Amino acid sequence: MNIRLCNRQLSPLQRRTMQLFGANLALTAVLSLGAHDLVKDLHPSAFLIYFTALLPTIPVIGIVATVGRYLARETDDFIRMLVVQSLLWALGITFVVDTYLGGLFAHPQIFRLIPILNIDLFCVSVGVAVRIQLWRNR
Amino acid sequence: MKNRLRVLRAERNWSQADLADRLQVSRQSINAIETGRFDPSLPLAFKLARLFETPIEQIFTDEE
Repeated sequence: MNIRLCNRQLSPLQRRTMQLFGANLALTAVLSLGAHDLVKDLHPSAFLIYFTALLPTIPVIGIVATVGRYLARETDDFIRMLVVQSLLWALGITFVVDTYLGGLFAHPQIFRLIPILNIDLFCVSVGVAVRIQLWRNR
Repeated sequence: MKNRLRVLRAERNWSQADLADRLQVSRQSINAIETGRFDPSLPLAFKLARLFETPIEQIFTDEE
């Protein structure tokens, strides 16, 4: 069994996890943008605003479930440990960047920023962290 | 925790990848165990003991 998460030599579980991860991530972006456009263009009722704001959370829950499923089924303890460490690194990076951007967003007259979805930032951070971990343990 | 994994593997002329295949784990796991950066779980330690037909305590020692 040759496990290399970033060299396309994935186990069936890892391949399935990556597919679910990607699909949920794309769905999060689509639903977030869709909900934003809907609220902006149609001026819906307060109930509909609350409802559309809830929609992007569904794939986020999907991502959490996907990661949980992977960690529960991964039989290689070492690889599982690397993934958990990468998740913690990504969580830290997301909190730090989110706190920083939150400070900048408080001054929209000075800083014109593109909103970044925390889940996208988290997923990209996980990918980078896993890659670094595997490189360190090559 | 110290271990004799590298020696036992060398005696059988197995590469890290060979051993990883037999244990159904990644080569990175074998490398991490051999270099002392990762202690295997009990099930994996028992698997190693069965594979090398050696008691666990002759593969792993808890000396610093």
